[in-house]
Amino acid sequence: MGSKSKALPKGISAAEFDKAVREMRAIVGDEHVLVDEEKLAPYRKIMMPVPDEQHELSASVMPDGVEQIQRIMKVANKYRVPVYPISTGKNLGYGSAAPVQRGQIVMDLRRMNRIIEVDPELCTALVEPGVTYQQLYDYLQEHKLPLWFSCPAPSAIAGPVGNMVDRGVGYTPYGEHFMFSCGMEVVLADGQVLRTGMGAMENSNTWQVFKWGYGPTLDGIFTQSNFGVVTKMGMWLMPAPPDFRPFCIQYPNETDITKIVEALRPLRIAMVIPNAVVIAHTLWEAPCTPVKRADYYTGPGAIPDDAVKKIQADHNIGAWNVYAGLYGTKETNDANWKIIEAVAAGTGGKIITQEASKGSKALEYRFDLMKGKPNLGEFGLYNWRGGGGSIWFAPVSQAKGSETLKQMQMAKTILGKYGFDYVGEFIVGWRDMHHVIDLLYDRSNPEQMEKAYACYDELLHTFAKEGYGMYRANTAFAEKVAATYGPVKRDVEKRLKKALDPNNIIAPGRCGISL
Amino acid sequence: MRTRAWAGCLGVLTLATAAGSAVAGQWRDGAELYQKVCGHCHEANVGPVLKGRGLPPEYIQRVVRMGNRAMPAFRPTEIDDATLADVARRISTGAVLARE
Repeated sequence: MGSKSKALPKGISAAEFDKAVREMRAIVGDEHVLVDEEKLAPYRKIMMPVPDEQHELSASVMPDGVEQIQRIMKVANKYRVPVYPISTGKNLGYGSAAPVQRGQIVMDLRRMNRIIEVDPELCTALVEPGVTYQQLYDYLQEHKLPLWFSCPAPSAIAGPVGNMVDRGVGYTPYGEHFMFSCGMEVVLADGQVLRTGMGAMENSNTWQVFKWGYGPTLDGIFTQSNFGVVTKMGMWLMPAPPDFRPFCIQYPNETDITKIVEALRPLRIAMVIPNAVVIAHTLWEAPCTPVKRADYYTGPGAIPDDAVKKIQADHNIGAWNVYAGLYGTKETNDANWKIIEAVAAGTGGKIITQEASKGSKALEYRFDLMKGKPNLGEFGLYNWRGGGGSIWFAPVSQAKGSETLKQMQMAKTILGKYGFDYVGEFIVGWRDMHHVIDLLYDRSNPEQMEKAYACYDELLHTFAKEGYGMYRANTAFAEKVAATYGPVKRDVEKRLKKALDPNNIIAPGRCGISL
Repeated sequence: MRTRAWAGCLGVLTLATAAGSAVAGQWRDGAELYQKVCGHCHEANVGPVLKGRGLPPEYIQRVVRMGNRAMPAFRPTEIDDATLADVARRISTGAVLARE
């Protein structure tokens, strides 16, 4: 019987591939291995400006436990077939569920969706990769636990393990997700199971409360990498504060970003504002309000500044819209609120409180995200240009006003050159900012596909020349982004890969790491 | 003052959850799926309204599996065939969906 796979792994014959698939079926059950082209369709859907074929998978295997993964690793090593682990597979704009390279078997961990433990006293959770934020939210609600987590914007369908492993960020005081993870379980390429930190010790009950353990702390090497398959992850939950006061401050001019950052950085570092402040541009807010682009501009190229100004005026949107919250008691929030009012007044910003936000979808979904309530409001962005094309360009910046204005102008100029709009925001980590830009384009238009690819390429290399690196990148550009970080780091990564996965079977090419 | 207010809030936590495992993902039915997944876009001005259009169930099922432009595709590990068929039938025939 010849293999039905459309994309065999590199250097593997159809006969050998069929044998590997047969052995995987024996492990997980026939119905949990897919090879037929039609059934693999959901894995193939990408938003990146490259042909689907570039990320075509060989098959999908769907284990339901650690022991099955250990056995799959043995088969993968025996036949030298690469496997590409995914959790919820909703890293949209960064690669979705498709493998980093053509001809890999996606190992879909979505069936492993157990919330293993929630400790309401220590405010911790231990979850599997298939758990979604919505599921965790429902669990906490059903058990009447006043605990919050931080989630990214596609939270209803994405999950904590995948997001933390890709070092994603969110919008509550626990917004730097990897920082608030605590303890991992990892299946290594040779089938051994490693528990990091205190989890390595038998009978330990401190796995989810103390990150470091003894000796080198290893968790970091399993994020943005391919050194193992993360099968459990501990995370810290935040006690719901007695008083939560989200707010937005709007500013009228693009150049205001300088004074905004200068005014807010001290409050963020001192934790008067404890969460990741977001500074969103008009064109991020408009599609989520919602505003239709075609109502303001139907010509070629990027939307002109005067049309953007008109959107601001018509829909009460700032050139920059600052989102943050106070998390405390009524007394502490009353005191800190005076500081926020003074900062807004001193910088020419207009405060919008939760009470005054009614009617704006953009404000509503932001305020929900700041308390970790899952939604998909930000998908409104995809209606801006239409056509299902999106890649995130996400350089890191210092939290300094001069740097942010420089980055915004650089990005806007390059995007405009290719006919794309600046749809961006800055997320204040603590002393850094993630400058996140959604490069939106029509994926059904070949010319726009080509331009989007070239535009991202120019953005990447121009920013790298100025010393600005990506915090995260889509799979089509993994190799190019990795290259901007220099040869020594890559050499070390390669040596680690050789030591931990000598047959190069876990997601070769992920974040540019391969043998 | 501050400590007391927080402690009051945390008091209920002494009612510990049963550790064990909580498994979702096996949806109760199409209505629950619609509320927890579809409705986040199709009831929120993000995706188009689906109800009352008499869309054929086969078409709905296909779009869920293939995705459509910016709409993500959903794998059988996320939405099993039976629940997908149920939600498609409910949307198509105007049967009761959650949040109505």
